[in-house]
This record gives sequence, structure tokens and C-alpha cells, in this order.
Amino acid sequence: MRRKLLFTLIATVFVSMALVGGNLIAGNKPSLGLDLQGGASVTLEPKGDFDTAALDVAVEIIRARVDSIGVAEPEIIRQGSTVVINLPGVKDQERALEIVGRTGEVLLRPVLQSGMRNTDETTTTIAGQTTLPGATSSTVAGATTTVAGATTTVAGATTTVAASTTSQPASSGGLGSSRRPMSAATTTTPTTSPATSAPSTTVGSGEVGATTTTVAVAVSPSVPQQDISMTNEPSKQAILEGRDGLVYFTGPSQADGQVFANDAAAQINSGSWVVAVGLRGGATGEDKWNALAAQCFQKAATCPTGQIAIVLDGVVISAPVVQTANFSGSVQISGDFKEAEAKDLAKILEFGAVPVRFDSPTAQTVSATLGKDSLNAALISGLVGVLLVLLFLFFYYRRLAVVVLGGLAISGMLQWSAISWLSQRNGLALSLSGITGIIVSVGVTVDSYVVFFEKLKDDVLGGKTLKNSASRSFDSAWRTIVAADTVSLIGAVVLWFLTVGSVRGFAFFLGLSTLCDIIVAYFFTRPTVILMSRSKWMNGAKMFGVRARRTDGGNDLLAESSTEGVVAR
Amino acid sequence: MSSRWGRLYNGETTIDFVGRRWWGFIASGTLVLVTLFSLLFQGLNLGIDFEGGVAWEAPVKNGLTIESATAILEDNNIESRNAKVQTLGSGAGERIRLQVDDQTAEVRSAVQKSLADAAKVEVGEVSVSSVSSSWGRSITIKAIRALLVFFLLVSLYIAWRFEWKMAIAAIMAMVHDVVISVGVYSLLGFEVTPSTVIAFLTILGFSLYDTIVVFDKVHDNTSRFSASRVSYEDIVNVSMNQVLMRSLNTSLAAVLPVLSLLILGSGVFGAVALQEFALALFVGLLTGAYSSIFIATPLLSILKSREPKFRSLIGQRSLKADMTTLMQTGSSVSRKQSARSGADATGAKANPVDAVTAVLSHPPRPRKKTRR
Repeated sequence: MRRKLLFTLIATVFVSMALVGGNLIAGNKPSLGLDLQGGASVTLEPKGDFDTAALDVAVEIIRARVDSIGVAEPEIIRQGSTVVINLPGVKDQERALEIVGRTGEVLLRPVLQSGMRNTDETTTTIAGQTTLPGATSSTVAGATTTVAGATTTVAGATTTVAASTTSQPASSGGLGSSRRPMSAATTTTPTTSPATSAPSTTVGSGEVGATTTTVAVAVSPSVPQQDISMTNEPSKQAILEGRDGLVYFTGPSQADGQVFANDAAAQINSGSWVVAVGLRGGATGEDKWNALAAQCFQKAATCPTGQIAIVLDGVVISAPVVQTANFSGSVQISGDFKEAEAKDLAKILEFGAVPVRFDSPTAQTVSATLGKDSLNAALISGLVGVLLVLLFLFFYYRRLAVVVLGGLAISGMLQWSAISWLSQRNGLALSLSGITGIIVSVGVTVDSYVVFFEKLKDDVLGGKTLKNSASRSFDSAWRTIVAADTVSLIGAVVLWFLTVGSVRGFAFFLGLSTLCDIIVAYFFTRPTVILMSRSKWMNGAKMFGVRARRTDGGNDLLAESSTEGVVAR
Repeated sequence: MSSRWGRLYNGETTIDFVGRRWWGFIASGTLVLVTLFSLLFQGLNLGIDFEGGVAWEAPVKNGLTIESATAILEDNNIESRNAKVQTLGSGAGERIRLQVDDQTAEVRSAVQKSLADAAKVEVGEVSVSSVSSSWGRSITIKAIRALLVFFLLVSLYIAWRFEWKMAIAAIMAMVHDVVISVGVYSLLGFEVTPSTVIAFLTILGFSLYDTIVVFDKVHDNTSRFSASRVSYEDIVNVSMNQVLMRSLNTSLAAVLPVLSLLILGSGVFGAVALQEFALALFVGLLTGAYSSIFIATPLLSILKSREPKFRSLIGQRSLKADMTTLMQTGSSVSRKQSARSGADATGAKANPVDAVTAVLSHPPRPRKKTRR
């Protein structure tokens, strides 16, 4: 019995410390919520009908977008059908919210590449160029056009070159998204004929513009970035940045992602990654796509480059060259894809097929200083509060309060480990309501001890020895503790499943601290008190604040009956 | 030892809770009436998370005043008459909070920028939150639904674990807590935010914990006294006195951190978010502690004493010294032990039945053999 208790106690302490140690070594630490760290938060709610699978894809795409703007610890949580995006520590909140809050719509636009009026310049740029083998850097394709309103003409066509991306002129450097230069040359072919075209042969934007055109270089910087990235109005022409770092001048959107069936997949074809996607039948699918493809294949005025830009949220994801006029049933996009790129494109096409449009019913930004102030205030006042509770318990229960101190420490370690681990694994963040919940839960935890100790006191007052009553009082107190904690757990579970937002976060911490309470009561408090009750340190003295009821002779009932207790057993 | 504190400390109080139950009922009834009137005439001050709207919070710096802040609203074509303007915190942490109806994203960021410019701080230092009113409604509905499901499950659990009458009493006490807390918020015009709701839920759990501990004791005592003819009022009184110290200790242990949050956290450090929590927790803790003593248990005694087993004993209450006797002999002290400590005035009557009958005003009915 004694050995078993000792083992339980040591094991509990050891496990708690090991958990903390493990988390420390793994570098896990609780991540702070938005209200403590400052940052931006948006809640997105799907509008109208949506598909659960599509929502999953949408969440992944949002995640990718958030990652691309370099937020340290984004928290993207699906709560039922709503998606909560927390971007702690974001500096440019407005931009972050704007990027996240976009609709996630896939548009198909013919690539005009260069404006009609400046054909001369552009052709000269392209004319007579040789592809530099090995030189993979990007070229900013000529973009000239009338921007919204058709009055001002902006000449685009820039250039550049070679080898190092740093040597790009301001025009392309300023475009913002040329993080990952890659060949823009992708092609679309019907799946029936395997991809034959080598990338970067026929495509203007894919060639390395080796030179010149001073005209364009001079003009481009004057194009405000805003105008380029923001005008994704489907019915108008637009200058859009590409994911590959190029700028596309595109015509009005002639189809959207819904022409594709929901089956896009990345696959290996002739040793290179391609993306295959089916077309929906009928007027809204195949016909629409073929109408666009035909224009591009013929390099008609509306699609002089022969390229179709696949645009997601105003960013050209890929601009494949159309290889045939008539697609039946499916489309295969091939190019110089890496595996990840192909998969990414497949995901986007799939997403475009079943778009989810979001509403953002709440948006919030919290200033960093406000968050830090709250955190400090909560921590300091929380610690003071816990200290006061401990003082009170020491005054009231004397040496028994040591058990409370130990129990709180164990409970603290367990909670810290769980929160750290979940922060790392599941993107849990400790919010102000969470911290408050934990501080208040100290009260609940202490309650368990009080129930136990009062029971113990009762028994000792009633004339039992501490040694005998410890284990029995625990059994009785344990029932009470479990009954009361079950109610708390019911509350936590109900709140978790039926609410959203901060109430839900709170429910988690309520449940966590209740579980810790039960664990600590059984695996720490029980063995500790029972072991202590057998030690000399506790016995015979009024070490836990009990004065035994006095008999007439003034004998201490506690001392008197202690011998009897032994006999009785 | 004989002092009131000493008796309390050792769990030897003999307070007649059941006899004074009407005090509690009348006090609570009055409070509930006041709440209803206040809700009717004053309503609740709901935060934007429930009502929908936009709120900005800007630090008070470099001459940003309420006047200049409202002027910024007017510049953006928002009627400042309809805006809720508050100053929060104090000293370096002082902030101005402006709250208006739904606005477009452009207006939101335009006002944010203007406020930041006026206070000469970075744009990020001005907090903005916007909630659409439909979202606010759905949040409110969700919270209420969660609360109802919670009530239902908890009553089922208590009915299963103890008995259904206890479930009714516990739920009534919880409803009482909610109503009174809402009343306090309505009467004093505090703003109801999600934090408030969270805090109330914490307190409901807490108050329920309290109630369950008392009921557990009552449950124990009922089975212990089942052999004897003790009125339910007596059982409740004894149980209440036995757990009184625990209830007080627990409430004190819970109030200490909350007071610290309220006074130190929001008072000294001026953390407004903490104030919302701590205030609701404080209000809820007080009503919770009160209701488990003055509402839940008296209600239980009313419900239970109508049972056939206890009906004939209604109105019998052992008071003062008699209650002490009942408590001691009713406690699990074995006969032999109490006999040994027999110098005690009443301890000589080792048999609990004898001890109880000794305090009755009339001779006990002879017991039938078949009784439990």
C-alpha cells in the first residue's frame, strides 16, 4: 500500500516534469492569442450553398495565402462552417485582412500580353531574341493598356534579364510578388495528345527578353502598383501580377473556374509533372472553355498571345498556351512544373470548380501595446491573486497547504505542457479569456482541496486518527469532486460544440483545467495526504488547523484516540 | 473556542438556515422584480459583438480628445450623435473608444488612419473591430442555445447522480444567478460583451459546484439518518452547517484572485479587457455563493419535506444545542468511540436514534420492525 502510493506520487511528479522538459526541449511554448499579442483577426462565413470539401480547400488556400505574406504564427481555425483567421503580430493589418478576405474566385482571362496600340514596340522587343540557355530569370512581359476608364494609355513593356534577379529594374522589382521566378511557359493541351511543346518556345512572356526598349522601362515605374494588382474586375481588362513574377495584361474574363469538373489532379506524364482536369459538359463547361480556347488557339484579336491566364484572386497562377482549338472532356496543363507547383495548381482548379464565397461578419485589429498591457496586468494580478489564496490556505490549513502548493504546481505544469503542445500542433493560442479562465480555475482547484480537507477535519474532530481518516475522507471527497467536476466538463463540452469565437476558446481552458483538477486530485493529492498522514510531521500536532473537540479532562481527543485507532484495525 | 469564529472554524455552527429561508426568498424575489423592471425600462447595454457595429480604440496621446475624435467621425460622414464614445483606462493607458453602426471596410480603415494621425501613432496602434449585426444575432442565439442545453444536461446528470428534486433546486438556483447577474448589469448599465458571457458561464459552473457539494452532504446525511425520524429540514440544516465553512472558504478562495484581477489588473494597470471579466466574475461569484446557500438548499428542503417519509415531520427543527447533538451523533463516529469520549454532555446517548428522540417535543411513535 505504502509503496504503491509512493510510486504513484513519484510517477506523477516525474511525468509532469518530463512533460514540461519534453516541451522545453522541443521548443514548444504557448502561443499568445491576438488579444494579448496584438494583430488582426477575421471571421469568414460561407455565403450561400457550399460544399464541405470545397471549404477544406478554401481553408488550405487561405492558409497558403497567409503563409505567403509571412505572418509568424497564423491561426486558422474551422469552427463548424465558419473560419476564424487570427494573424497575431501583423504589422500591415489592412493588407493582411484584404488578402485573407478575398473571395477566392478563379477567373479565366485571355492574355493580351501587350496592348494593341503599342504592338510595334512590343514586337521589336520580342523580335530577334534568342533564348539564353540556362538563363532562367524572369522577364516582365509588356503590359500596355488603358487602365479602367480607357483614357490613359500606359506603356508597359519592360525587360530584363539574365542571371540575377537583383539586377532587375525597378519596374519589376516594384511589382512585389516576384519572389519565385519561374518560367511562365506552361501549355494547355488536350489530354489526348501528350504534352509535346517544350516550355518557353512559343510564348512571348516566357522568353528571356534580352534587351532594350528604353521606352517601356521609362514608363513602367509610373504604373502605380495598386492599379496593377487591384483591378480584377471580371468584365474589364486588367493588369495582373503573376505568381511567376511576370505582369500580365489580360482581357475581360470569359469563363470562371466552374468550367472545370471537381477532379483536378497533378500527375506525372512523360517524366514531368502535369495537371489534368476534366471539363464540365454543356454550355457552362466545355462550350465556354472551348470558345475561349478557340480564340486563343487562333491568336484572335481578343487573345493574341494564345495564352489563357488562370487567375485566382487577381493573381495569375498560370498562363498556359493553348495547343488546340477544341478540347473534349478534359484539359491537361503541362509545363516546367515542380511537383509542389503542379499540386498547387490542381488544388486551385479544384477550388475554382466549387467556389466558396465568404462573408466576413467580424474583423478586428488589436494594437500590440494594448495586448502587452493586458497580458502583463493579467499575469501580475493573477499571480498576486494565487499568492493571496495560498496565504489564506496556509493560515487556515497550516501544513496541509503544502499539498495545495504542490498540487497547484503539478496542475500548472500539466496545463502548461498541454497548452504548449497544442499551440505547436493545433495552432491553439492562449487568449486573455483563457488566462482569466486559468486564474479563476485556481479557485475551483482549491475547492477540491477544501472539500477534502474539511472532510478530513470532520473525521478527526469526530475522534478518528488522521492516519485512519485520510484514506476514507478521500474516498468520500473524491465522489464529491468527481460529481462537481463532471458538471464542469459537461459545461465545457456543451460550450465547445455549440458556440464560436472566444467563448469556445474559454470552454477549452475550462475543460483542460477541470481535467487537470481530477488528475491531480487522484494522482497527487491522494497519495501525498495519505503518506503525510502517516508521517510524524503531520501527526499529533495541530498541523492542519484542527483543534480536536475537548473532553472534560482537557485531553486531546486526537492524541487519545490515535492509539485506539490502531487497536481497532 | 466558544467564540463565533471558533465555532465557524471548527464547523460547529448551529445556524437555522431552513427557518430563515423566507428571508432569502423575499430578498431574491425583490431582486428578480427589480431585474424585470430594469430590463423593461432600461434594457441591457449590449456590446458590439451582440449588436453589430464598428468600434475603434485609440490611445489618448498628442492632443487626441473626444472632440477631435468625434470630428473625425463627422469627416467620414458618420453621425457622431449616434456614436457611443467612452474613455477607458487611465494614465498612459488611457484610450478613447468610439462605437458606431456597421460601416464599410473603406470607412473603417479611413477612420482608423485619421485617428492614428490625430494621436500621432502608427496605424496599428488603433484597434478596430467590426461585427455585422447578423453575426451578433447568431452569436447570441448560439450562446443561449448552449446555455439551455447545458441546463438540460446538468439536470439530467444531477437527477441521475442524486435525484430529480435536487436537479430542480440546482437549476432554479442557476436561473436565479443568471437573472440577478443580468439585473445587476442592466441596472448599473455595464456593457455586456462576450467576456461577460464567458465569466457568467464560469460562475454558473462554480455556483453549481458549490450547490453540488452541499447536496452531496445532504445526500450523505439522508442515508445516514434514514433509520431515524429526522425531519428533512433538520437534515438540510445539519448539512448546511457542516459545509458552511467549506462554502465560505471556497468562495473566499475564488474571490481573492478575482479581486486581484479587478483591483490590481484593471484598477492599477488599467487593463480594460480584464475589467470586463473581473467585474462579471465578481458579480456572479457573489450571487452564486448566495444562491447555493439561500436558494438551492431551502428549495430542496421545501420539495423534499412534502415526501411521505418526511411529511409528518414538517416544522420540526432541532435548534442550537440540539442541532449540535444531531450533528455529532449523526456523524459517523462509532458508538464505542463516542461512548469513550462520553464525558461530553450529550455524547452519552450513543445511539443516534435516542439522541434524536431526546430533542423531540413529543414521545416518538413506536417503530415498526419492518422499517428500514
